[in-house]
Amino acid sequence: MQVNENSYMYEMIRTELTDILGDQFVGVKEADLFGHSVDFYWIPEMWHDRGMETPKPDFICHPSTTEEVSKIMKIANQYKIPVVPWGGGSGSQGGALPVYGGIIMDMKRMNKYYGIDKESLTVRCQTGIIAKHLEWNCNKEGYSTMHLPASISCATIGGFLAHRGTGVLSTKYGKIEDMVMSLEVVTPTGEIIRTLPVPRHASGPDLTMLFMGSEGTLGIITEVTLKVHPQPEAREFRAYIFKDFHTAMSAGAELMRSRLQPCAIRLYDETETKTHVRKVFGMELEQGAYLVFGFDGRRDIVDCQMRYAREIMEEKYHGQDLGSKGGDLWWENKYKFFYPPYMFHIPQAFGTLDTVATFANIENVYYAMKKVVNENFPQARFIGHFSHWYEWGCMLYARFIFEEDAVPKDPREAAALYNRVWDMAIRAAIANGGVINEHHGVGLKLGRYMKDLYGTAMPVLEGIKKQLDPNNIMNPGKMGFKGI
Amino acid sequence: MNIDKYTETIKACRFCFMCRHLSAIGNVTFTEADTPRVRASMLYGVTMFPERLTSDDLVKTMYRSDLSACCRRNCVNHYEENALNLAYRADLVEAGAVPENIKAIAAELKGMPAWSVSGKGEVVYVADNYSVQSGAAAAFAKLAGGVQTVKGGSCGKGLWVLGFREEARKMAQTFVDVLESTGAATVVVSHTGIYDLLVNTLLEMGLSLKAKVMHSSEYLAKIKTAKKLGKVYYLESDFLRNYNDDYPFPKAVLETNGAMLQPFGTNDEESYSCGEGALLLDKIEPELVEKLAKYIEARADNPSNDVIVVASPYTKVQLKKYTSLNVKTIEELLAEAL
Ligand SMILES: Cc1cc2nc3c(=O)[nH]c(=O)nc-3n(C[C@H](O)[C@H](O)[C@H](O)COP(=O)(O)OP(=O)(O)OC[C@H]3O[C@@H](n4cnc5c(N)ncnc54)[C@H](O)[C@@H]3O)c2cc1C
Ligand code: SF4
Repeated sequence: MQVNENSYMYEMIRTELTDILGDQFVGVKEADLFGHSVDFYWIPEMWHDRGMETPKPDFICHPSTTEEVSKIMKIANQYKIPVVPWGGGSGSQGGALPVYGGIIMDMKRMNKYYGIDKESLTVRCQTGIIAKHLEWNCNKEGYSTMHLPASISCATIGGFLAHRGTGVLSTKYGKIEDMVMSLEVVTPTGEIIRTLPVPRHASGPDLTMLFMGSEGTLGIITEVTLKVHPQPEAREFRAYIFKDFHTAMSAGAELMRSRLQPCAIRLYDETETKTHVRKVFGMELEQGAYLVFGFDGRRDIVDCQMRYAREIMEEKYHGQDLGSKGGDLWWENKYKFFYPPYMFHIPQAFGTLDTVATFANIENVYYAMKKVVNENFPQARFIGHFSHWYEWGCMLYARFIFEEDAVPKDPREAAALYNRVWDMAIRAAIANGGVINEHHGVGLKLGRYMKDLYGTAMPVLEGIKKQLDPNNIMNPGKMGFKGI
Repeated sequence: MNIDKYTETIKACRFCFMCRHLSAIGNVTFTEADTPRVRASMLYGVTMFPERLTSDDLVKTMYRSDLSACCRRNCVNHYEENALNLAYRADLVEAGAVPENIKAIAAELKGMPAWSVSGKGEVVYVADNYSVQSGAAAAFAKLAGGVQTVKGGSCGKGLWVLGFREEARKMAQTFVDVLESTGAATVVVSHTGIYDLLVNTLLEMGLSLKAKVMHSSEYLAKIKTAKKLGKVYYLESDFLRNYNDDYPFPKAVLETNGAMLQPFGTNDEESYSCGEGALLLDKIEPELVEKLAKYIEARADNPSNDVIVVASPYTKVQLKKYTSLNVKTIEELLAEAL
């Protein structure tokens, strides 16, 4: 059902919601409804920029307990109204947008920190906590989640779980799905369930992983237990310039194959080295590709790993050493890219075409995406860096950017152009062994490629959705699932 | 419109999420509206559709901002999120669309008695109502001895923050005249908002004051207490830390007198001030100030035992009112240890 503000049902439902949460925690005011109609997805931002109305929710619920979430879900099922979980709204895929109106379940009031189990090195919290607030709490006790994404200050832990988010130290500490021990979830029908307390077992399939990356389509994650780590004694970075992107990629891949344990590696392609690295770090780098990596842990082990890594960089791939200062500059400025005026912003049209592939495929994916963007959209720029590295491959964080004069003034034409870039680039990635996304998720933006990506496995996902959400009220129309 | 001077800020903040963790009000209301992002987006809407300027909900949202300037301090390019908010309020006043509760607060400020001057000396101390109520003024008198005192009036900063710029300027001029009439070479204030008025806002108003201006912590920098201050938690002031480049004197005077400063809460980026930057939030949104106070209380290591010291008399007054924290102004702590 879509609720109409002028209907009796609107008032009936509002009364039921306020009965659970109290008046002040059921938002129906203009400013807040507007605030939940634009997330970090370019299309709603562009619509707002052009003076178009952005679709609003009917109610914003701010629960503080799992039980309240459960009760709201039961009401939503009774009236068959859509429910969209909202964390910080920092998702770039439109996943939290209330495309069919209904209830926004804003999770930020569910921000309780339950403390660290110092024997097991785990931390338990509600999922609406802003990631930075969780990190600060852990830091106060001498620990870190080691989940340090650029949006740490605005995204919630629930948002990261729902998107399988990634932080800058992922190469050693993993993506958030590697950090999670167990979850509490409210299913679309309002049942409260807990997944097994440990992530490694042989007690059936892994329910925790079913909800990781489910983007609010299979339920609402209300509580989580995550691993934590002691703050390392030392953390050191070093940067190199390689003669070209291919050499730099080979050096990075070799570092991973050596099974040393860098905490981070980042490689910028030649274009991004010239533009971004220079602009943000103030380094004069005219050509080549910039690669930075680091190690953390005990001082002597960091030194030892760094020594071996330097052999790879210098002796085998002849990188030009920018020293630890060149590396530290990157670490100190790692979030600077994301602040205005460094961040791309409207009136530019831009998108992050992130994907991930094995080392055998990643360069092909990069060149294929670059080719389709350059050939079909000569008015756009294509840049890329490789942010998150695994034993078997790495993540490509590619971007396309149209300057203002290349973006149609008409918002619908602008959206059409934007979507065409995604169509071509994502299909090129899939054709070359990439996937549609590495850590930003699918949301509204990439839902149409899910069938291409999953092929005959897509009905399995659809079957799970149908079983858990018989009334199709949980974030309908997202992640390739059917809308209303 | 006044907000047109801040187009750069509107465009930077409207889609930026980077300082949401520092939105003191957002952290207690949990709403998206109470973030620099949404406020700037809505003001972008006003630049396109001027009739939105006076929308009730926008007005309410803008007047409940904490104006802590934590976001500007955290921001790589220090965009003027607060100045934008103040410009909006001025636009509202110019449009004659200020809500009744704000008008009533303004009327109260305008109706305050004239400043009265007493005492003698080269130094004049501003004993505004918050400084008196918090105990800072009495403690300062004990510490500083023979100074002149101005008491009781309104300085213009409150009207300025509410958006009544013309009236604020006139009132500030009167305040400056009173201060200058004392012939004092140095003006000392405990109230951090009045400090900010005298060192920053007067310039914006096109006014000036000849005397040197000091926060009481700077004036007392050389004081030596008989007893060491011991373990204390210092809560930063929005005005001194965020608006005045990490003004160093509060911590310095505490440390010189043997304070072992403990980190309060989990970080040194948030505002733990009960809305000090908004100057009159206790009058505009008292329930929110209570929530802000409880938020601070919940972050104390040992709420009943910790000695918490503040540079802002406003903050002391609110924490005393809404929590059981053992909170003192810097002046009080020093005076007790004399
Ligand atoms: C400046 C900037 C930098 C970024 N950098 C990174 C980065 O380094 N790494 C990274 O991974 N991402 C990054 N992102 C993207 C974004 O922060 C992530 O996608 C994040 O996971 C979104 O979290 P959120 O709380 O803002 O979620 P929202 O945007 O509110 O929601 C995202 C999705 O999760 C669902 N959801 C939210 N909470 C829950 C819950 N409790 N249960 C179930 N579903 C839920 C929503 O329905 C939606 O589908 C960045 C974004 C910005 C703006
Ligand atoms: S003040 Fe800076 S960090 Fe905050 S929203 Fe504006 S641009 Fe972003």
